[in-house]
Amino acid sequence: MNSRDRTPPEKELKVGFGSLIETRTFEVPAGDAPPWDATTKLSVVGSDADRADGRDKASGRAKYTHDIAFPGMLQAAILRAPIARGLLQNLDLEKARSMPGVAAVIALKEVGKRVRFVGDEIAAVAAPTLDLCRDALEAIVAEYAQEGHTVDFLFADGAPVLDEQGDITDPWPDAGEELTAAFAKAKTTVTGTYRTEVQTHASMESHGAVAKWTDADLDVYMSTQATFGVRGELSQAMRAAGLQCKSVTIHAEFVGGGFGSKFTAGAEGRAVALLAHAANAPVKLVLNRFEEHTCTGNRPAALMQFRAAVDEQGAIIAWDQRSWGGCGHNGQGGGIAIPDHLLAKAARRRERAHQDLATDADPARPMRAPAHPQGFFGAELCIDELAAAAGIDPLALRKQNDAQPLRLQQYELGAERFGWEQARAAAAEAKQDQHARYLRGVGCASARWGNLGNDGRGRGDGPGHGAVCRIHQDGSVEARSGAQDVGTGFKSVLTNLTAEELGIRAEQVRATAGHTTDPSGPAAGGSTTTASLAPVIRHAAFLCKQELAKKAAEHLGVAADSIVFAAGRLSAGDTSMSFGDACKLIGPNPIEMRGERFPNYKGKVFERGVCGAQFAEVEVDTWTGIVRVLRMLAIQDCGIVVAQKPAESQVLGAMIQGIGFALHEQRILDRQSGRMLNGDFLRYKVPGALDVPPMEVIMQSVANGHSNCSAAGLGEAPTCASAAAIANAVFHAIGHPVRRLPITPDKVLAALHQRGGK
Amino acid sequence: MRPFSYIVPRTLSEASIAAKKPGALLKAAGIDVVDRMKERKHDATELVSLLPLKDRLATIASDGLGVRIGALATLAQIADSKDLANAAFAALRESAGIAATPQVRNRATAAGNVLQLARCWYLRSSDLQCLHGRDGTSCLAMVGDNRYHSVLGYLDCVRVHPSNLAPALLALGCDYSTELAGKTTRRPLRDLFPTEPKAEADEHTLLPGEILTAFHVPPQPMGARSAYRESREKLSFDWATTAAAARVVIEGGVIKEASLVLGAVAPVPLDRPDAAKMLVGEKPSDELFVRAAQRAFVDARPLSHNGYKPQVGMAVVREVLHAVTR
Repeated sequence: MNSRDRTPPEKELKVGFGSLIETRTFEVPAGDAPPWDATTKLSVVGSDADRADGRDKASGRAKYTHDIAFPGMLQAAILRAPIARGLLQNLDLEKARSMPGVAAVIALKEVGKRVRFVGDEIAAVAAPTLDLCRDALEAIVAEYAQEGHTVDFLFADGAPVLDEQGDITDPWPDAGEELTAAFAKAKTTVTGTYRTEVQTHASMESHGAVAKWTDADLDVYMSTQATFGVRGELSQAMRAAGLQCKSVTIHAEFVGGGFGSKFTAGAEGRAVALLAHAANAPVKLVLNRFEEHTCTGNRPAALMQFRAAVDEQGAIIAWDQRSWGGCGHNGQGGGIAIPDHLLAKAARRRERAHQDLATDADPARPMRAPAHPQGFFGAELCIDELAAAAGIDPLALRKQNDAQPLRLQQYELGAERFGWEQARAAAAEAKQDQHARYLRGVGCASARWGNLGNDGRGRGDGPGHGAVCRIHQDGSVEARSGAQDVGTGFKSVLTNLTAEELGIRAEQVRATAGHTTDPSGPAAGGSTTTASLAPVIRHAAFLCKQELAKKAAEHLGVAADSIVFAAGRLSAGDTSMSFGDACKLIGPNPIEMRGERFPNYKGKVFERGVCGAQFAEVEVDTWTGIVRVLRMLAIQDCGIVVAQKPAESQVLGAMIQGIGFALHEQRILDRQSGRMLNGDFLRYKVPGALDVPPMEVIMQSVANGHSNCSAAGLGEAPTCASAAAIANAVFHAIGHPVRRLPITPDKVLAALHQRGGK
Repeated sequence: MRPFSYIVPRTLSEASIAAKKPGALLKAAGIDVVDRMKERKHDATELVSLLPLKDRLATIASDGLGVRIGALATLAQIADSKDLANAAFAALRESAGIAATPQVRNRATAAGNVLQLARCWYLRSSDLQCLHGRDGTSCLAMVGDNRYHSVLGYLDCVRVHPSNLAPALLALGCDYSTELAGKTTRRPLRDLFPTEPKAEADEHTLLPGEILTAFHVPPQPMGARSAYRESREKLSFDWATTAAAARVVIEGGVIKEASLVLGAVAPVPLDRPDAAKMLVGEKPSDELFVRAAQRAFVDARPLSHNGYKPQVGMAVVREVLHAVTR
């Protein structure tokens, strides 16, 4: 019977968190596992169980795409354009094809088509060694008619004029009556121009794949965030290339990060499949670090201008903004997102004042909380400037204006835990010493994301996302999903939910993820994976549990629905048996059940997305302009926390990325050649071990009431706040804002100079 | 990596003869050169490894008065050396101990650090041709993005000398020894660097086949101290944006001798005798150090993107002078 034919019964659930718990009514679909709420006692979920594949990763047993090898496998490499813009006039592959050992050479760009950026794909080769591939690339003749290019978006068509300070000089467009009136009655108004640079994803594992054909069946081992998406993409591409392709199977058992850059197979993914077909052998193609930095997308640059105003009572009553995105050649993806939750009382401009600017560079791709870190940096710093101008503590200003009750609690908790008032006062007092070389500052910022997952059904047709649970006769348990674990800890989500439902330990469950032979899940983007799949995983285990209970009931002579699974035992009243003994009743065929993703429950969820607040303390060296982050704190919720350690790790990772975005990271393109100058990890500066200060994460478990396990997405939210909190701390330290990321010594020295410091 | 012959010499003179051939290249730890060969940015027909000679060339030993640092001594050895424990040698320990990462320091050698190729992102790009080594017609950094480039002492090429160790060795007045065709020569360290650091000039003055075998740290008088400081954007694995090594001899609270050498601001490690002279006969004070720092950068000529460097460099000089007189 299909779930949609049943009438959903109403159920009362305790939702919320801390002192905010209340009872609300939800429509819970029949057949689903009984939903957990704020009163449910959980033993594995939310515990400090180790990451499911932690030992495999730490010991090197985990096999990433880069580690995959087959007998007779060939290597591959891509010829890339050395110019930023021009026409491909001639492409001669014959000499490369005739080289001994070269197994396949394919064109990736047609003659007559335009080269769009340095690194644009021209051709690809496969050969037994990478050196032979390089020799073959050098034998390819590619000729270009070079055209003028622009790689700096401030010189692109449509870019606004900036003065020497980097401020936009054009007057604001007409704000409309309401906004103009709001500004007119404000007590304090500030305005500023803010800028961020291009950040690359910088995943530890670069893009790469191994393609292997068996007749018309194609297996691809790929470092990807979207196993099912790239399966469709590749099967379409193979058909478009006129190849017999019966099936495509994607394998992504371990993925070394993606951060939004790995949603598509890309030119390299299509090339490796075509090369493997042409060479009639397995082929591996892995991008090097320079290719990874220059050809696989990025977080685009942003130029933003804000003006904001408070009234006598400290309400933010007016907010205005205009922005430009510094994009790649397609001129897309450069929008910004700001903390709207702080502006509920503000009059706003009605029409969106944003323009994406195209440059002759690698296009943007989604990157962890797309649009947010850049917009939050500018807007949160503007709000701190507003607070300073109005003589209000910046945290107090946020508490007064934030519309989300959950975050108000997070501000309170964070301020107490971080010692906000004491640290702010100590920093201010230390500043009194005119001869002090080091200044300290303390700042905070808010986080936000909205994702409670999806059911995977498009317009109500076809089966939705699934997951498989298997219980074997020997007591072993499998939890399987075809969705990928990009390093976020999805395998722990599989093990913890399954173990919780079956009343066993997390280590007793073996998780498998990333093979499209298992049921589908969403791409790992927008914080959707856990929120979408956790209810399915639990449901699969729930169904298996019912089957096992039936067998045990017969053996124990009790009713199946009286059996409780807990602490490794199946119990009913006075009688019980171990989980292992119960499994012996299963027989040679395992209990195997496929979970169903019911739609999110109807009813008023506690929180539509997730909140969060972060705090940072920095030290500014007034002699050298060098900024060091001294400590950070994140308060973060994500529904009911399924896997504590991976969740904390996600937030820590976001904070470390935030340090990089705030202080170090920027793609530097040479204006003359259009080529990236720092396309490596020596000059593209991601934080290293010594650059990461003591950081604390407090995860808050919140029952939302939207699904059987209340799991919400986590990847994006903490990314919003980190750079903003650091920039605010720098502003507090110097007393003058640095409105342009990254906050490098030259900008700090300029800000100190403008402040009239030493 | 293109095919090449890998030469494993048994003696220094074998190494010297092998390295003299056109297209041959000497390799110590290979921290940088192996990467550049893999990326085809450097092709050697013969790669002559010095590591087989490590027994002879990797020791640090007090030779009566001074200390001899073998060319193949690792940065980690220098940073932890008991023979360099004296405050007079602190600059050597500090500069070796801050370079790169623990993994690199355990492998990278003293000579490799001093003789490494400049880190300019134009001259190291396989796709761009610049005046360095006469590959192209102009210095691309001079008109391009030069945020990490020279502010002092440059001519037609604005690369900076990247060695952490070289300023410290120079400030201590070290000599270096080489071996060429069985002949050993000992010279003052400043002779290792070209007096005119032009684009076409090599970054060091060694002749083909000449092998740097040791640095000789001279004996230090009572009251001698040294220190090394650098500015860097990141603490983990970053290059200095400016660096300074200082050596002083203090008697009765007065500076009797002083030397000051800058790193990362010019194509060669830059001795600043005029600034050092200002310190002699004076009592240490912040005001004095600020003036000396200004003197050290008085002839700075910043480029389009590195106007911050003189100020940061002066701060590092001020800091190193405080450190060395503390």
